[in-house]
Amino acid sequence: MPRRRSIFPSIVNAAIFILMEIAALNLLSRNSSLQEIWIAQASHKFMGAVWGGSQNVRSYFSLRRENEVLAAENHELRKRLMEISTSTDGSVQLSGDTPYSFFSANIVKISRNKQHNYIIIDKGSENGVTDRCGIISSKGVIGIVDAVGPHHAYALSFRNTDVSISARLGNEGAVGPLVWDGRSSDGAIMKEIPLQYKYHPGDTVYTSGYSSIFPPDIPLGLAGESRVINGATNEIRVKLFQDFSSLRYVTVVKNNNAREMEALER
Amino acid sequence: MRQARIDYDMAYMILVVSQMLVCNYLHVSPYLMLSILPVLVLTIPIRVGTVGAMIIAFITGFAVDLLAEGLLGINVLALVPVAFIRRPLIALLFGNEVFSREEDFSVHKNGFFKVFVAIISVQALFLLIYIWADGAATRPLWFNALRFGVSLAAGVVISLLLIDTLAPDDKK
Repeated sequence: MPRRRSIFPSIVNAAIFILMEIAALNLLSRNSSLQEIWIAQASHKFMGAVWGGSQNVRSYFSLRRENEVLAAENHELRKRLMEISTSTDGSVQLSGDTPYSFFSANIVKISRNKQHNYIIIDKGSENGVTDRCGIISSKGVIGIVDAVGPHHAYALSFRNTDVSISARLGNEGAVGPLVWDGRSSDGAIMKEIPLQYKYHPGDTVYTSGYSSIFPPDIPLGLAGESRVINGATNEIRVKLFQDFSSLRYVTVVKNNNAREMEALER
Repeated sequence: MRQARIDYDMAYMILVVSQMLVCNYLHVSPYLMLSILPVLVLTIPIRVGTVGAMIIAFITGFAVDLLAEGLLGINVLALVPVAFIRRPLIALLFGNEVFSREEDFSVHKNGFFKVFVAIISVQALFLLIYIWADGAATRPLWFNALRFGVSLAAGVVISLLLIDTLAPDDKK
């Protein structure tokens, strides 16, 4: 049986070799200005490559933390944005009395390949999340909280055939329910649009604000082709901005007046 | 055996001194860099390990750098790698039995071609590093290439002439 060779002597040899070469380079650079410049240039290039590489690796492994910081910053900005209301003459005013609260959250589980998809987030009742809270991102609506635990919440994904949200065509267009088309990852259908309302394919679809869950004017997607249903209404295809396959950081939006509104509805 | 060792040590030291004289007084052409140091390191007795050979190479290179004209450290820089690859190169060309028998190689035992390849390998490695460091990225490639070719040819010829002195067939 062949004897297994130890790697230790090779490491020692290599270490001594490197030390001797460094000593030789040191001697060389101390005794010739030309070689000193050459060695300094080479060592700067080497150090640049090493530090650049290690910085890239460090940046890669700190991406998660960076994303969390960005998500927190995002939700803070969204909160401030909601405090700014635009008057009819286009001027911006600080209202300060928005009924919405925002919390950043991470998705810990998400289903994508079912007709009734769901999401679990890492914020629960201890963080102020209640059922009927909305979940949004910078690219649209993600879902609606359905059940809440102390540290987690279960939400129905927008890609759930049971979920419908109130949407508006353009800035001042028709309002109708928006539902997932049940097939594609970024497809939705806006229903019950009266025939007299004209729109252009490519118009942006926003949340209408006619619900107790989502604030108005969240961009959802772009309007596409339409078809007439039963000769009475239009049904418009919508291409969503949000790609659900790359979703991780979301914002929970809570309407503090939701209970009062729902009580009035009863 | 002891006498052979003394003979080798004497020959080694005489050749190192010869190298110093060559460096100081033999300036034939800027393209010719005559060095017998690689073959000296190659023929260090087999029983000497890599670390021992590297220390010998370091001292030899330092001595030549110190006492001959040239840049201090350049021979050390080029010679230590020769000592580092010496044992793997010998194992590759002459087989591992050389180490188990602690038997130094020679043209008579191992054949001219293998010894020639060993000499050309160490000379090439030495000259590559030496010429690269000596030029310090200031000389054109054609100059370095020509210097390398001329010096390699001359170095290999001189080394082949010296190999019998350094690795004699004393066991025959």
